Amino acid sequence: MQRQEAAVSTGEVLVAMRNLDKYYGGLRALAEVTLEIRKGEILALVGDNGAGKSTLIKTLSGAVEPDGGEILVDGRPVSFKTPKDATDAGIETVHQTLGLVDTLDVPQNVFLGRELTKKVFGLFPQLDQAAMRRRTHELLQRFAISLPTLNEPVHSLSGGQRQTIAISRLLLVEPKLLIMDEPMAALGVDEGSKVLDLVVKLRDEGLTILIISHNLEHVFAIADRIAVMKNGRLVAVVPSAATTREAVVGMITMGASGVRTEDRQWLS
Amino acid sequence: MAVVSEAQAPKSIGASDRRFRLEGLGLTLVLVVLILFFTWVNPRFGTLANLANVLTQTSTYVIVAMGMTFVIAKAGIDLSVGSMLALSTCVFFGLIEAGWPWPIALPLMFLLAMALGAFNGLIIAFLAIPALIATLGTMVAFRGIALLHSAGKLYYGLPPAIVWLGQGKVLGVPVPIIVAALFVAFSWWLFNKTTFGVHVRAVGGNREAARLAGINVARVEVLVYTLMGFAVALGGLLWIARIDGTQATLGTAMEIHVIAATIIGGTSLFGGRGTIYGTLLGAILLSMLNNALVIAGVEFFWQLVAIGCIVIAAVTINNIRENRIGWISRIRHRRAPAK
Ligand SMILES: Nc1ncnc2c1ncn2[C@@H]1O[C@H](COP(=O)(O)OP(=O)(O)OP(=O)(O)O)[C@@H](O)[C@H]1O
Ligand SMILES: [Mg+2]
Repeated sequence: MQRQEAAVSTGEVLVAMRNLDKYYGGLRALAEVTLEIRKGEILALVGDNGAGKSTLIKTLSGAVEPDGGEILVDGRPVSFKTPKDATDAGIETVHQTLGLVDTLDVPQNVFLGRELTKKVFGLFPQLDQAAMRRRTHELLQRFAISLPTLNEPVHSLSGGQRQTIAISRLLLVEPKLLIMDEPMAALGVDEGSKVLDLVVKLRDEGLTILIISHNLEHVFAIADRIAVMKNGRLVAVVPSAATTREAVVGMITMGASGVRTEDRQWLS
Repeated sequence: MAVVSEAQAPKSIGASDRRFRLEGLGLTLVLVVLILFFTWVNPRFGTLANLANVLTQTSTYVIVAMGMTFVIAKAGIDLSVGSMLALSTCVFFGLIEAGWPWPIALPLMFLLAMALGAFNGLIIAFLAIPALIATLGTMVAFRGIALLHSAGKLYYGLPPAIVWLGQGKVLGVPVPIIVAALFVAFSWWLFNKTTFGVHVRAVGGNREAARLAGINVARVEVLVYTLMGFAVALGGLLWIARIDGTQATLGTAMEIHVIAATIIGGTSLFGGRGTIYGTLLGAILLSMLNNALVIAGVEFFWQLVAIGCIVIAAVTINNIRENRIGWISRIRHRRAPAK
């Protein structure tokens, strides 16, 4: 597997997190995390279970409010009180829990919160179900997925089908930053590589992507830089071309003490 | 890229969707069979006059059950509908008695009922009180205010224009049936064809997912209960117009009828799913049963027993359909092995 260099990364900072803190009762889920996401890069976030990865991206997507620190988008401080604040700022997220409503059908899930409408009698806004169904069909065709029915509730679909539906929600708008929390976890080989292709293609089109994955093979295949977290702290951020899988595994399991001498420069 | 997989055969997406789905077919058949059966037992039942009578009487329940469908699809419940109805109609009558013209008193009644509904929604959304407990509280509290307000009085004597809404006919069709039909049509559109309808089901099906999708969950919550208040005012208006009177005990035990109608119709008590057509059928079915029992001379108290049993049976049937009962779904799957 070969990785491609970022075609468009300019090194300019899109999103900056400064000293982010988050407590759940006595548990410190985030401890002074400072991390910059550069325009046009794929930044992978890795770490053990419970390291704080999902918590970190939730502060970026407006799902949780940090207890301390600040977030800057394009150099301007932002404060996301609701998920809508984040999407309004151009940040789209697929959460680890996918965020699907089991009782709704596929187009309803894909368009949830941004339904297409048309006016009946030029007065009453009504759902444009035909248009949403058509768009859903187009979107899903970008994935190697088979989905015999669109208008059944999604609870009966497989994990991979559900994941694909959640990811396709991202393609409805043109965000600045895409966040994906383990988007390939439930996908088969074919479907997983389709999603990887898509992520790279979106990056090449100029999007910035933050992706969480436990699969280091995937991470090294697509990421420009790799950020490692442990126990709520950011350990290091390394360019993936400058390191090895063993080195990253060392950082994930041992934290700062597991960093090789040649990677010391990347320590946070 | 190496991870790029080679050109794949296009996979099927949405190919086996059914164009037309016959929802509520089973319940429709049950209704038809029951009508035929009751008529066979007692020919008086099947007359057009009696059926129109049943529909007129059920119009209030149909309308309130429409609101309840939204509430239950949002994974809520509203036990306070009967008390809201009593309070708002008593206040309306009080205003009329005090000499207020009805074109002013009537909108005030609707506003009051909607405010009571919104109050339910607000304490549920912002104080995180479970809907069952919140509306149990307001059920008692609203009834208390109605009793205080009317001091045990029996109100009667509405302006003719209002009485017409309950007793008049247009082209031979009783006005309450027309009003109920229009409201059912509106509810169907709102539930199935609008953004609001989808958001109600989304909040009911997965509150957190709805929130993450940018939906203002609290707003949906308050709006749903406000709509419930509107339905109560409309249903209450038809009722007091039909009997030309009200009192603070009107609508007692109404919630069980309305919730029963909604559940019999197939709306899931667990939220996320609902059917307007089903609720309509459920409400008609219940009223027909009542009417048949009355014609058969069954005592009123037995009707309460019957309704209680029907509610439990309807929820059980829904649970079986949704495979929520472990031991039954195991039996079903043993009978029908995987193909
Ligand atoms: N809502 C919550 N309430 C209490 N504790 C929480 C909550 N969410 C997360 N935590 C805790 O915060 C820590 C970080 O959790 P987080 O979900 O961010 O980990 P993660 O790195 O995404 O793990 P995984 O790889 O398993 O998804 C964990 O110890 C977790 O138990
Ligand atoms: Mg996680």
